[in-house]
Amino acid sequence: MSKHTPPNIPHPIGDSVPRVDAQEKVTGAAIFADDIQFGPGLLYARIKRSPHPHALIKRIDVSRAKALPGVKAVVTGEDFPGLTGLYLQDRHIFCRGRARYVGDPVAGVAASSEAIAEQAVTLIDVEYEPLPGVFDPEFGATPEAPLLHPDLGDYKVMNFIFPQPGSNVSNHFKIRKGNVESAWAQCEAIVERTYRIPHIQHVPIETHIATARVEQDGKVTLWGSSQSPFAQRSLIATALGVSPSDVQVIAPYVGGGFGCKAGVSMEALAVAIATQVRGRPVKLRLTREEEFYTAFVRQGLVAHFKMGCDKEGRLLAMQNRLYWDAGAYTEYGVNITRASGYSSSGPYDVPNVSTDSYCVYTNHPVGGPMRGFGMPELHTGLEQCIDELAEQIHMDKVAFRRLNCIQGGDTIVTGMTMHPTGLNECLDKTAAAIGWGHKDPPSAPNKRRGKGIALMWKAPAMPPNPGSSAKVALNEDGTVTVSVGGQEIGQGSFTIAAQVAAGALGVPIENVRVATPLDTNYSPYEWQTVASRLTWSMGNAVAAAARDARQQILELVAKAWNEKIEDLDIVDGNVISYKSEETISLNKIAIYGIALPNDQGWIGGPVLGRGSFMPTYVTGLDPETGQGPRAVVHYTTGAQAVEVEVDMDTGKVQILRGVSAFDVGKAINPNMVRGQMEGGFVQGMSTALFESLQLKEGVLQNPSFVDYRIATATDVPKDIQSIIVEVPQDDGPWGARGIGEHSMVPTVAAIANAIFDAIGIRVGAPPYTAEKVYLAMLDAGLVE
Amino acid sequence: MSINPHPELPEFDYIRPASLAEASQFLAQHAGHARPLSGGTDIFVRMRDGIWHDQYLVDVKHLDGTNDLTFTPTGLTIGAGVNMNRIIASPEVQQHYPLLAQACRRVASYQLRTRATVVGNICNASPAGDSIGACIAFGGTLKVHGLNGFRDEPLQGFCLSPGKTRLQPGDIVTAVHLPPPPPGSAGTYLKLGRNTWGDLAIVGVTVLAAPDPTAASGYRFRILLASVAPIPLEAVAAQEALAATPLGEPAFKEAARLAAQACSPIDDVRGSARYRKAMVRKHTQLALLQTWQKLTR
Amino acid sequence: MATHRISLTVNGSTELLDVPSQMTLLQMLRDKLALTGTKNGCSAGECGACTVLLDGEPVNSCLVLAVECQGASVVTVEGLAKDGVLDPIQETIVDHGGVQCGFCTPGMLISSRALLDRNPDPSEDDIREALVGNLCRCTGYNRIVDAVQDSARRQAGKA
Repeated sequence: MSKHTPPNIPHPIGDSVPRVDAQEKVTGAAIFADDIQFGPGLLYARIKRSPHPHALIKRIDVSRAKALPGVKAVVTGEDFPGLTGLYLQDRHIFCRGRARYVGDPVAGVAASSEAIAEQAVTLIDVEYEPLPGVFDPEFGATPEAPLLHPDLGDYKVMNFIFPQPGSNVSNHFKIRKGNVESAWAQCEAIVERTYRIPHIQHVPIETHIATARVEQDGKVTLWGSSQSPFAQRSLIATALGVSPSDVQVIAPYVGGGFGCKAGVSMEALAVAIATQVRGRPVKLRLTREEEFYTAFVRQGLVAHFKMGCDKEGRLLAMQNRLYWDAGAYTEYGVNITRASGYSSSGPYDVPNVSTDSYCVYTNHPVGGPMRGFGMPELHTGLEQCIDELAEQIHMDKVAFRRLNCIQGGDTIVTGMTMHPTGLNECLDKTAAAIGWGHKDPPSAPNKRRGKGIALMWKAPAMPPNPGSSAKVALNEDGTVTVSVGGQEIGQGSFTIAAQVAAGALGVPIENVRVATPLDTNYSPYEWQTVASRLTWSMGNAVAAAARDARQQILELVAKAWNEKIEDLDIVDGNVISYKSEETISLNKIAIYGIALPNDQGWIGGPVLGRGSFMPTYVTGLDPETGQGPRAVVHYTTGAQAVEVEVDMDTGKVQILRGVSAFDVGKAINPNMVRGQMEGGFVQGMSTALFESLQLKEGVLQNPSFVDYRIATATDVPKDIQSIIVEVPQDDGPWGARGIGEHSMVPTVAAIANAIFDAIGIRVGAPPYTAEKVYLAMLDAGLVE
Repeated sequence: MSINPHPELPEFDYIRPASLAEASQFLAQHAGHARPLSGGTDIFVRMRDGIWHDQYLVDVKHLDGTNDLTFTPTGLTIGAGVNMNRIIASPEVQQHYPLLAQACRRVASYQLRTRATVVGNICNASPAGDSIGACIAFGGTLKVHGLNGFRDEPLQGFCLSPGKTRLQPGDIVTAVHLPPPPPGSAGTYLKLGRNTWGDLAIVGVTVLAAPDPTAASGYRFRILLASVAPIPLEAVAAQEALAATPLGEPAFKEAARLAAQACSPIDDVRGSARYRKAMVRKHTQLALLQTWQKLTR
Repeated sequence: MATHRISLTVNGSTELLDVPSQMTLLQMLRDKLALTGTKNGCSAGECGACTVLLDGEPVNSCLVLAVECQGASVVTVEGLAKDGVLDPIQETIVDHGGVQCGFCTPGMLISSRALLDRNPDPSEDDIREALVGNLCRCTGYNRIVDAVQDSARRQAGKA
């Protein structure tokens, strides 16, 4: 870090510099996975998918498909025996003997055109024996439910996941803190509620796209729309039984991820098919409908909450039973179960907590990570129960939260000591900005107005030791190229990488380039672009790499000038000496070093800084109690409030205003931080008002934009305020923590609480569509 | 919708006939396998979804005046190729048929309406068609070119069931003609979608009214309901009640009740029958009130 | 499979192409002309990522046949900047933080350009209505709306 940045040069950290990828993206030059040109040798893949939610596959006849001119390969599960999965290896690339959801891949085709591939798919005959399905997670967890994965006990699993072989429960996470049972008697008020959260979809505007080529020697190249090139490399290698270093994943810009392009999903299909047509690239592009049917979904949840407080409003006990409707394969979902368990108290200091979080196989689409990773689903019910408790003891809802919300030094639900956090500040600023306690008259006689508030917390959910690495290289013009393995999915990670490098090295932001696209052969390792971890973890790696480069440069110049490193600095792209007041521009030393006097040779050479970061302090938790010294790396906390108006004629909920405040530790780029807060708020609002995958006996009823509606420009409130709170993270770059996911965690609850404030009804499960709200008002006798 | 929809449009032949006669001839010869193409905004979607399987699409957008929008003392003629944005922007439509402009403006998005046409909206015979109600309310007739040349087809009764119309093989609707609006008329289109704008109608209510000394109330109303019956539904009993009774909020409330009674909505992913019935009542009442305010302004 | 020879202008340059009947304008732009700035998000006219100007008016290029564009003039996102100078809307969308993943951006820019062409002084509600056919999952829209307003102001200042 520069010690003496002159005041006239803006420091890149904390400056809202423009995005480094903006020019490419506004001119149409930015390359996404579908834009890569492969020439006439490209083959096209299509997938034969199960129409049944649960069925045995008795027979597959591919002969007619194979005979179709233009068809180059037809593959089935027979060809790929390997299992894969991120936390639990429960997934074959293609179904083997059993299909577990509508859309489960049964066979794949490569052909010289998409149309021929599509025709070939219709010529594949599959004989199924339909089986009874599991469509409710609570039922799925009972012994009466049909068993979906009889081999669960044989699957490889990470040591912090606890499957229950012989059942559909692929993870059971427990919290036993204090003594819940003895606490109820001391409670003045108790709230007991059940919330059913529907499945939703990420809906990136870019669907999943992957192109794969497998060479004669088995080496794999994959070009994909990917949040996680390195995880994909590893998971595909596992599935195919090859070495990860023989898999190269090239990942251009991602047209929206939100989690669904993490881990591996359809990319494995493209690679598998490509193994049968060696040397030819094979492209698989999901249609929007396939995206809805088969991409990762946000899992459904049935959540039972019971919580109580004393007459002063102090939370005494909380008991949660969470049944996650995790779908046909839970390789990723098992960790959502865990994450929601270790954060199951919400952002509150509660002495007695008992939680059972179950990951349950169902015959629904495959659950995966989505922005918030279980936290929006958990907070939706939990934060409404908090409101109800406050109501019961006639306490102001903001005051109730201020009394109970988590603070630095508290012993949290897992027994970990909470680090300093600005949650109280977020709460107070949000409440002030929304005008808490003040009710404006509605805009029309047929409308009612209300305000709602909700808190949140979320920790990065990941294995204990996910690593980041980065390279910083000087170019001959004095510019700097930063290489990272963390992906740019819209959240601004490349811009953050550039700012951190500029700040740590001492060069202007304009002089920093980010190496794109990501390529596992050239980019340094990054675990995954998930968990809102890049600014923090990748940021640490970039800072380390830049400081390494800086050290090399300063050592070189110190030697050349015969000065002490302590007297030197790099400011605005120049090495300066505070002692001799000498200065030299980086472009004079970057590649070719510095000439010694009198033609005595040279010192220095190309400068390449390297840096890596991995948290080393996360400990295991006791499987029976969920207690341990440090469950997670840290928590980002925050608050949101909304003002809504309910139309009594239609039930339509209009969001008039939204306010967010999050403790991001340090805003490296305040404008982009606010962009994340706004975008997350609107995505949360969209899920609150419009979104659900309507599954009927496992069959999706709304697999298109026609009937899966998301918020448009006309649905969004004009007034969205985003407040940055900065209580530094001890091990974040300049104190920074992540913000990408957090911004949609409390939104649904805040809106539900505001609807209650407006009409006095708890509408129950989201989405709060006009119809649902109207019929609730009708049933309550509120409208005629 | 299939789990394996076509990634792109299936194969077909695009036909660009030189005349309407040639077009009708071709369509009749390939009955069941050919379809007139105007804006294509529904045709392409249905073909990609695998619902329609036509071998030929016969482009009729540029034939013999199908691209003309003309207003004369005999009324407004909207050619089959005239897109909705042109209608919305037309000063004549805004002045004389504001109800039609209002209804068209509620269709999907601006860029979709660059291609979408009113004639296409009518010929698709979707129960949710936003612009059909206005055309029926204005007493529109269709100009149809068939194997035997031109004929007029009243819009009333044209839609038979979802996607089905009175058209015969070889028939091409070249235009919809609206007579001059009744003097002093006013109208309202109210649409309830899931989103504020851009969605299909859960319920759509078209109201057109004008002074009429032959009616006891002094006014004649027409009420057309979208998305609550297999075809655009005319709320006849409500209309009769409004002709017979002194007008004002109680009359509108009663008419709205009659309109809701007349409709037979279904449960689907967009809304339940129960909600739709309630919303027909609310929206009819509101549309009547808004129309009344315009009439008596 | 019938193919048709068509000539048209794309971003000011004349093209002569053989296109099959069922090829959409979107496919033609991306696959025949490698103008991949125009994106495919749904192939059904719902998301607006494929929006281009056809004879000056915005269309969903996934719902227009290439063969229907005989003689037409098409402008894509690649055609917005002239001689290295960005269109004002390209500048303001960056200035206001209206770009995140960038996948909806080309369609947003085209819809915005078309709005400003037909209405140089749109109200905020006009802008929201004009963008209702362009879905964005990242930004929450408001920064894009701000960018269009700012672009209108900048244009007015220049005029």
